Amino acid sequence: MRMVGAKVPRVEDRRILTGNGHYVDDLQLPRMVHAAFLRSPIAHGRITSLDVEEARKAPGVHAVYTGADMRALSKPIRSPLAQGATPEIFPLVTDTVLFVGDLVAMVVADSRYLAEDAAGMIDVEYSDLPAVVDYETALDPGVPPLFPDLESNVLHTATKEAGDVEAAFAAADRVVEVTLSQHRIANVPIETRGAVADYDPGSGQLTLHAATQAPHGLRLQMAQTLDHPMDRLRVLTQDVGGAFGLKGNIFREDFCLAIAAKQLARPVKWIEDRNEHLMASGHAREERITAQVAVTEAGDILGITAALDMDAGAYPGVPFSAVSFTGVISLLLPGPYTVRGYRCDSRVLATNKSTYVAYRGPWAMETWTRERLIDMVATELGLDPAEVRRRNLYEGADGDRMVTGPTLAGITTRECLDRALERIDYAGFRAEQEAARAEGRYLGIGMAAFIENAPGPKEMRPNGGFTGGEAARVRLEMDGRLTVFTAQSPHGQGHETTLAQLAADEMGVPFEQVRVVHGDTQVTPFNILGTGGSRAATWGSGATMVATRKLREKVLAIAAGQLEIDPSDLQIVDGVVSPKGVPGREIPLARLAGQMTLMPQTAPPGTDPNLQAEERFTGEETSGSGWSGGVHACIVEVDLGTGGVQIKRWVVVEDCGRIINPAIVDGQIRGGVAQGIGQVLYERIPYDVEGTFMAGTFMDYLLPTSAEIPPIEIVHVEPEDDEDGGVGFRGVGEGGMIVAPATLTNAISDALAPFGARVTEQYLPPAEVLRLAGVV
Amino acid sequence: MSERTVQVTVNGVPHAAAVEARRTLTDFLRDDLRLTGTHVGCEHGVCGACTVLLDGEAVRACLLLAVQVDGREIRTIEGLATGEQLHPLQEALRDCHSFQCGFCTPGFVMTAVALLEEGATPTEEELREELSGNLCRCTGYQSIVAGVAEAVQRVNGGTAR
Ligand code: FES
Ligand code: FES
Repeated sequence: MRMVGAKVPRVEDRRILTGNGHYVDDLQLPRMVHAAFLRSPIAHGRITSLDVEEARKAPGVHAVYTGADMRALSKPIRSPLAQGATPEIFPLVTDTVLFVGDLVAMVVADSRYLAEDAAGMIDVEYSDLPAVVDYETALDPGVPPLFPDLESNVLHTATKEAGDVEAAFAAADRVVEVTLSQHRIANVPIETRGAVADYDPGSGQLTLHAATQAPHGLRLQMAQTLDHPMDRLRVLTQDVGGAFGLKGNIFREDFCLAIAAKQLARPVKWIEDRNEHLMASGHAREERITAQVAVTEAGDILGITAALDMDAGAYPGVPFSAVSFTGVISLLLPGPYTVRGYRCDSRVLATNKSTYVAYRGPWAMETWTRERLIDMVATELGLDPAEVRRRNLYEGADGDRMVTGPTLAGITTRECLDRALERIDYAGFRAEQEAARAEGRYLGIGMAAFIENAPGPKEMRPNGGFTGGEAARVRLEMDGRLTVFTAQSPHGQGHETTLAQLAADEMGVPFEQVRVVHGDTQVTPFNILGTGGSRAATWGSGATMVATRKLREKVLAIAAGQLEIDPSDLQIVDGVVSPKGVPGREIPLARLAGQMTLMPQTAPPGTDPNLQAEERFTGEETSGSGWSGGVHACIVEVDLGTGGVQIKRWVVVEDCGRIINPAIVDGQIRGGVAQGIGQVLYERIPYDVEGTFMAGTFMDYLLPTSAEIPPIEIVHVEPEDDEDGGVGFRGVGEGGMIVAPATLTNAISDALAPFGARVTEQYLPPAEVLRLAGVV
Repeated sequence: MSERTVQVTVNGVPHAAAVEARRTLTDFLRDDLRLTGTHVGCEHGVCGACTVLLDGEAVRACLLLAVQVDGREIRTIEGLATGEQLHPLQEALRDCHSFQCGFCTPGFVMTAVALLEEGATPTEEELREELSGNLCRCTGYQSIVAGVAEAVQRVNGGTAR
C-alpha cells in the first residue's frame, strides 16, 4: 500500500501516550547537579554591588558564577548569521542589566531546591537607569544607547522599493492611511526551555542534551563561543515539548550550563520554570506599521507604502535576531495582489524587554497589515471586501509577479478565496447578518489570504537557497530494515512518521520497518536551522526521497548483478527485490543486505556493497508553484454586554501542495489557528512604563483552552499526483498562525461596522471591543 | 530540612521513601520514583500537564506535596497500558491523531481516564468544558476532543459526537 497521502497513525504516539517519551527534564545522570539563575528584578540599571559569599557557603552548593566569572570563561556570543548592529554580549550580565529577568548570577547545587535557596542569599544592589520601553523612546536620539558599544538604539534601518510608487500614488483617487500595531506575545510551549550539559574530563567530550529545534546550530555556536573542539562536542535532542520558533534560538543560559559542566566536570541540569519562561525566554511580534494605500474609487489597489518598526527587546536573538525578519516582511507584504508601486522602510529598535524571538511565521505582520488594509479600503470605499480582493488578486498566470520580484505563477489564492466564501456561504451570511443587526445582535465575517515561500519558486532559491538545500542519509540494515537520518529536529510535527512514509514508498519496504533518527549531531547531517520555517515538508522530505532513491539504485544494481538482469526490470515490493512479472527469483532485502555487509567481497563487479546513501536535496525536483498559501474565513458574534467575541465558524482553504499525512497537516493548521486566536483575544505580554514585567503566571498570560477554540473546517486544494516523482510537498507549519489574526480582526471589525469601529490594534480583549463599539 | 517517611501506592506498586517536607508530588514521582510520564508545565496549577489520579480523582500533582499523599493511592499515565496492550483511551487518542509534541498528553490522558471511569457520556460541548482545565499549545484541541469522544463512545457507549 502506498503510504504517502494516507492518514497513517503516528510512530511517536505509542511512547507519548504511555508516558515513555524522553523529554530533557526526564534525564537523570549520575553525579548530576542543578542550576538556578538569579535574575534582574528591574528593567535597566547598573549593578553597583554583588555579594555571592553567603550563597557560596550555602548547603549543597557547588559553585556560584557571576558575570565576571563567566566572562573569563567565554568569548563574546556572536551569531554567524548576525545582521544589524550587534553588541558584545556574554552569558551573564557583567555590568548593566537590560530587562526584567536578565541573568545576574548562576548557582549550581545538589538540587534545584538548594540552588534556589542559595540564589536567594545573593545580595545585589542596582542603581536604576531610565528604561526604554516604547518605540518613541527607542527612536529618541537624546536617549543614551542601551549598549555602550553601539551608537544608538536603532539597530537597523532598511528600505525596499519596487515598482513605481510615485506613479501609483499620483494615479490614485484616494489614499487610505493608518497605523497598525501588533502587540507583544510569547510562544509558550507547554514544555519550557531546558538542557543538561555533561562533560567528560577523560575524553574532553562535551555533550548537550537540549530541548532545541536546531541541534547543529547549537553545537556550532557552542563550539565558537566556548572555543570547544567540534570533534568533542555533541548535541542530543530527543522529544521536545513544543517550540514554535523559540527553541531555534541558542540562549545565554545554554552557555552557562556548558561552562559550569566543564568547570565542575559534572552534568548540570537547568529546567526553566514558567515564571522565568514568560519573563525571560523571549517574546515575539510587537511591531507597528504606518501605511498608506493608493486606491481608485473602483477599488484598485495601486500602491502601498509602509513604515515598519520592530521592538527587538534587549539582546539580539542568536542565531536569528529581529533584523533577520525585516527582509521577509518587506518582501512579502504585497502578497498575491497586483500592487504596482511599493515601498517599505524598516527600523529595528533595542528596548529594555526580553529578546525578540521567532514565533511561527515571524513575518506575519505583512499579512496582518495587508489584509487589514484591504478591509479598511473596502469600508472607506463602500465596497465588499471579497470584491476588493477579487479585483486585485493575481490569477497565478505565468507572467504574474509580486511587485517585489518573485514569480507568482501557479498560486491558487483566487480559487481558495472562492471556495472559502462558498463553504462559509458568504451571501447567506450577509443576509443573516442584516437580520441579526435588526435584532441588536452583531455578527461579523472576516477573510484573509496569505502566501508563504515554503519553499518558494525555484528562482528564489538557486542551489537550495541560503542553506544550500538539505541532506539526509539512509542505511539498509542487515535485517532489511531501513534507517533514515534526517537533519530535521521535530518537536511535535511527526517527522518520524512522515519521513518514514516517504522512505517506505521510495524504497519499497513496509512502513513499520523504517526508523527515522533525528537530533543527534553525531549521526545526523548538518542543518543550521533544524526544524523551523515550514521547511520540513519540502526540504526534509526531498532529502529523504533523494537519499532513499540513491540507496535503492545501489540495491538494484547489486540484485541485477546477482540475477544477471537489467536493474530497470527489477522492483522492490514489501522488502523483497524481484524481477517484474517473473515469480520465483525473489531476493529479500534482509538477505541482500546481510550478505553485502558480512561479505562485501561478494558484491557483483562494479557495484557498491556499502548500503548507505547520503544525498543533498537542492530543490531541483520540486514541482508546483513553490508557494504555500490559502484563505481563511470566520464568523464571529460580538456580545456588547461583555465585550466577548464568540467564534461561530472557521473555514480554512489551504494549498500546501501534495499532502504526506492529512491528519498531521490538519493538526498543523489547527494548532496555528488556535495560536492566532489566542494572540488576538487573550494573549499579551505586558510591561509597564518603567519596564516592569507584568505577566509572571498563566493567570496573567492567558492561553486559549478547548472551551474557546472552535472546530476548524479544512478544505485542501491539492494538485494531481506527480507522475514524474517530483517533490510536491510544501510547508504548512506556519500558515495557520500567519493568517488567523488577520481573519479574526477583520471579522470583529465587520461585526462592529455599524459603530464605525476602526480596528488598528491587533489585541482585542473585551475592554477594547467595548471601546471600539463605543459602549465604554 | 526535616524529612518524613511517605508510604504511597503508585500504579499498584507500594513505595516507602523519606522525603523533605517541601518536596512536590511531581518531583517525588518524576525524580524519586523515576516515573517521568507525568509532566510539569507551570508548577502553579493552571496547565494540567501534571494531572494524576489520587484515590481515583484527577488532581494537579504540582500543587501537592509528597507528604500529603501518605497512605494514598496514585495512578499515573505509566499505569494505563497492560503490557503491550494500550488502554482503550490510548488507542482512541492514537487513532484520532490527538497529540503532537506530547507534553500536555499525560494531563489530558489522566483527566480523560477519570471521566471515563465515572461512566460519563458528555456531549462534545460538555467535553470541551471538561477538558478546558488542561492546556495544549500544539493542537487547537479539536483532535484531543475527538479522541476523548471516540474513547467515550468505545468505552461508555455514550454520545460525545
Ligand atoms: S504543572 Fe501542574 S498544573 Fe501546570
Ligand atoms: S501536544 Fe504539544 S502541548 Fe499538547
